[in-house]
Amino acid sequence: MNENEKRKYIKGRKLGEGTYANVYLGQLRTDPAVLVAIKKMKVQREQDGIAYDAVRELKFLQELHHPNIVELLSVFNSKDQNLNLVLEYLPLGDLESLIRDTDRVRYGAADIKAWMGMLTRAVWFCHDNFVLHRDIKPNNLLIAADGEVKLADFGLARSFADPGVNMTHMVITRWYRPPELLFGCRSYSGAVDVWSVGLVFAELIIRTPFLPGNSEVDQINRICQAIGTPTEDNWPGVSSLRSYAVPAEVYPVPDKKAWMDRFGGVGAEGVDLLCKTLVLDPNKRITAREMLEHRWWRTDPKPTRKEDLPRSKDDGAKKMGADLGRRPGAVEDENRGSKVARRLDFGAK
Amino acid sequence: MACNYWDSTQRRHWQFTKDELAAMRQKLEDEEASLVQMFPLPQLRHLNIHFNQQINRLGKRLGVRQQPMATAQVYLKRFYTRVEIRRTNPYLMMATAIYLASKTEECPQHIRLVTGEARSLWPHEISAIDAGKIGECEFFLISEMNSQLIIHQPYRSLTQFQAEFNLSQEEVALSWSVINDHYMTDLPLLYPPHIIAITAILLALVLRPTNGPGGPTGTGANSANLAAAAAQLAQVQAQARAAITGGSGPGTPGGLQGMQFSSAAGEKSPDARFNKVTRFAGWLAASSIDIEAMVDCTQELISFYECHEQFNDKHTRESILRFVKARGL
Repeated sequence: MNENEKRKYIKGRKLGEGTYANVYLGQLRTDPAVLVAIKKMKVQREQDGIAYDAVRELKFLQELHHPNIVELLSVFNSKDQNLNLVLEYLPLGDLESLIRDTDRVRYGAADIKAWMGMLTRAVWFCHDNFVLHRDIKPNNLLIAADGEVKLADFGLARSFADPGVNMTHMVITRWYRPPELLFGCRSYSGAVDVWSVGLVFAELIIRTPFLPGNSEVDQINRICQAIGTPTEDNWPGVSSLRSYAVPAEVYPVPDKKAWMDRFGGVGAEGVDLLCKTLVLDPNKRITAREMLEHRWWRTDPKPTRKEDLPRSKDDGAKKMGADLGRRPGAVEDENRGSKVARRLDFGAK
Repeated sequence: MACNYWDSTQRRHWQFTKDELAAMRQKLEDEEASLVQMFPLPQLRHLNIHFNQQINRLGKRLGVRQQPMATAQVYLKRFYTRVEIRRTNPYLMMATAIYLASKTEECPQHIRLVTGEARSLWPHEISAIDAGKIGECEFFLISEMNSQLIIHQPYRSLTQFQAEFNLSQEEVALSWSVINDHYMTDLPLLYPPHIIAITAILLALVLRPTNGPGGPTGTGANSANLAAAAAQLAQVQAQARAAITGGSGPGTPGGLQGMQFSSAAGEKSPDARFNKVTRFAGWLAASSIDIEAMVDCTQELISFYECHEQFNDKHTRESILRFVKARGL
């Protein structure tokens, strides 16, 4: 594959540098107007061959092709034996930068609906292909030149396990991690991604992370206070999960009105959908497919056309560089290391 | 297994016709004509039997399940359609294929563990193996495979068909071992996994389960039985083909009567088997399964079982070692 693929692209300036990869701007040699992003994986060969994240990313991006999933255009290796992933260029930053820039970026319910629609379709497509993403969060949702949202970073993704085969619970960036994983559940489903989607939805509405826990214990506390304490009543079997522990004070599951007060901006139907994605019991949580069938999409306002969506005022290319270079599973603006959710767990699969 | 087979890179890039496969291999040999001449090798199927056995041995030591071992074998096959075998050390490549497959199949093994086990399993075959070397080969392997790593295996299809055809434990075990065996042929590069699975089931239904699971695997001691079954099968298939091409459309598998009779003949409990085979034949007729492909798969498997008899492990190993040693690989 190599030389030919490599010669197709001209590597340009560095867009970003992360612990995990360096990201460069690239051009197609035959048509310099076509821009690409080249993600150069950092070697870790001495440790353990090609990083597990890189293998996962490669294997899934090779197979999944969807308008809302970042497109892998090519792979080549450079002289120093580094893997280079050629990805489509997504110059408009990510959802996180739009959410955070409250001074300069304004958006409404129609825009949220458009973004959520694209995110939900991406997640449905993954699940329909038996792939769990396991790291959905605003800075993994990049934006293409035409406004299309693209789900990126498949470094933690895996295929659904066969029944009875355990998976690791050390996945998904903490703020977006569902209670079943926090309780150490090793056998889970697409519901874990749906929870993350719900939290991205909430964050789009209130423009700040909904449950920014600063430790796993704090994360559980915040979930209990905001969404209710998981108990045998609302989630049969929960107390037998491996690391089930909740605060002594039992918080009730809030009623519709409490949700409406805080998230009413997206209307009653929108709040209904949000509540269904944030159901404590993963077995009762809505699936990605059911989300797509929800009434909210058909009630006014209609989703904004992607070309008309609000755009980031920052340097989107730089943002892409930073997002792609980051190690999967990490929360930003916290000290590194402690918050890396993903650890290679050889026993756990 | 993840993702959709029909859109997969496997179907789009790694399924060949026999002619394509032969042409690719010929090209590799032509490019290295002097090497090929200097180091003659036994037939490819014999090499594959050897690789299969060695991969299984290493896999067992590492406690790797069947699925990653199967994936490793397909990796090796894909790799050797791109790279002339005499340019590589096959033992090193096998260790690397298992190491990579264990990652892609979500049961990662530590590189040092793989290195250590490979070293003690193949003390003469791999002179200097270390983690760095496996790392290097992993890179080589990924890049020759165009970093297309997901392999769709027939095992999953078999599990799905199990309920559909009401297969017994014995029949499943027999189908399973036929699938294990097909990794020693070119079939994984030629046909989609469901065709392989259906063929394996057909073989299992037609062969008498008294041959036992593991009958066709391993020693090839049952090849007499197999040859008998093969003859029977050829007949069955001729009829099946005639029935289908002869225009007896879905729902009216009348022409398949012959198939039921011939395969049920000589059974101890003809009734139960009769029903099962009838059901299978009816299903086949109503499906749009490529019967020609199944016939071809069956032929391949049968001729493989025949050629298994001539397999000489010592000779195969020695001819590989000859070029490994001579070239210091």
